[in-house]
Amino acid sequence: MKLLLAHTKVELLTLLRTPGFLIPTMIFPSMFFLMFAAPNLLNTYAANFATGSFMAFAVFTVTFFQFGVGTANERENPWSSFVRTLPAHPIYRNGGKVLTAAALAMLAALVLVVVAHFTTPLDLPLASWPRIFLALAAGGVMMGMLGTALAYLVTPKAALPLANLIYLPLAFMGGMWMPPSMLPKAVQTFSPYLPSRQWMELVWAAMSGKQWNSSHWLAVAGFILIFVLLAGWAQQRDERIRF
Amino acid sequence: MIATVEDAYKRLGKVQALRGVTLEVREGELLALLGPNGAGKTTLVSLLVGLRSPDRGQVRLAGRDPRNPEARRILGVTPQSTGFPPNLRVGEVVELVQAHYSRPLKTGDVLERFGLTNLERRSVSDLSGGQARRLAVALAFVGNPRLAVLDEPTTGLDVESRRALWEQIKTFRSAGGTVLLTTHYLEEAEELADRVVVLARGKVLTRGSPNEIKRRVNLQRVLLRIRQLPQLNGVEKIEREGDRFVIWTHDSDALVRELVMSGLAFSNLEVLPASLEEAFLAVLNEEES
Repeated sequence: MKLLLAHTKVELLTLLRTPGFLIPTMIFPSMFFLMFAAPNLLNTYAANFATGSFMAFAVFTVTFFQFGVGTANERENPWSSFVRTLPAHPIYRNGGKVLTAAALAMLAALVLVVVAHFTTPLDLPLASWPRIFLALAAGGVMMGMLGTALAYLVTPKAALPLANLIYLPLAFMGGMWMPPSMLPKAVQTFSPYLPSRQWMELVWAAMSGKQWNSSHWLAVAGFILIFVLLAGWAQQRDERIRF
Repeated sequence: MIATVEDAYKRLGKVQALRGVTLEVREGELLALLGPNGAGKTTLVSLLVGLRSPDRGQVRLAGRDPRNPEARRILGVTPQSTGFPPNLRVGEVVELVQAHYSRPLKTGDVLERFGLTNLERRSVSDLSGGQARRLAVALAFVGNPRLAVLDEPTTGLDVESRRALWEQIKTFRSAGGTVLLTTHYLEEAEELADRVVVLARGKVLTRGSPNEIKRRVNLQRVLLRIRQLPQLNGVEKIEREGDRFVIWTHDSDALVRELVMSGLAFSNLEVLPASLEEAFLAVLNEEES
């Protein structure tokens, strides 16, 4: 417990003191929401739907960049090698990262809910929150693993530009910024094959109180498995080459 | 035996970094790993501290695999490059290390011993190069370990800081601590080590007391222009460099005396110390030919 706390504290302090991380992840999703979504949300159904989308976007931003760019930076930084020599199972180090990501992702989602509450006719019964939480958490794990895989697959310098190149289209084409029916026709046809879209289906169902379709859970679980395997393989490859 | 390496091989990418290294660290001793850049020192250390496992061979810390975190409880490590996470304070870095050990040193004591008094709240990115280096070394001792592994602890330190650090290493040893140290500096090994292992091209080139090693690798180069070299004693190696001969020797004074006694005419005499790197390569080439 002491070790988990120690690693979480270090991870959290590092991120909180990085302005380039905190401001985009906490503010941008809400800003996009206010600029593009909020003015058009005239009824509760639309408000709930869009709030769910942008909460997922906020969680996506935090987890994907923390694990993606964070891990890439660590590959370059000898400090992480030193930390790995300390007598602690890797579970504490990684646990610290996961706890930090969870805390920041929840914070980012919370900021969004508060913004939506004051600017749209958002109305979510308390009973739907456990499902919303579950759906957001599953997607957070998926995108965290995708970020980790990316960080080990490319050079640390390429990680940030490439992360942006993946992140923005995934968000847009997955339907995080506008409902799928409003996406361009071409995008609509392949959007269902994207991990972000499968995730959104879970979030939308949770936001509107509809039954989950198990195929979306299977798809998300499948993507998590693929990203975990990819990250594991890339991490071992990296360890073999790196000095 | 507090740490052992048995016939370890390790390939990193295209480089065969270790080619069958055997090493023993005895409890209470200071063992210096000496060798030129690229000799495999850092790779060997990375096996001992559990960062990598060997492709072949075996590495043990007090009988256990260093990849096992429990085995590393006896270990304190200093990072080679000073790349602290830029957003942390000195005290926070020390605190993270302390959390891993059952009876760590107090932050104030650590900082005082390594000349970092009152810097606890200083951001690590605001430390001077020397301060950052001292903090890195201090981290190896924070956990009060049985074995401290110091990878090039004094690289980049001024003479005064280096001496101060040597004193701290001696203090640690007088309390029964064991040290494995890698270094480029022969004088550092001479000052601190009980035994020296010389590594070159991924193999153990030679081992012995610091004095023995010094005798072997402490070479000078005598350069001169001469028509024909006479028979000389104590010559390790002779090379041509332009129109001059380069004579490698352990005793340049004796060699020059001999040259003068021979009565032959020579000019452009110059005596240069060989760096440790050059000396290793000379010894190495001689052994391989």
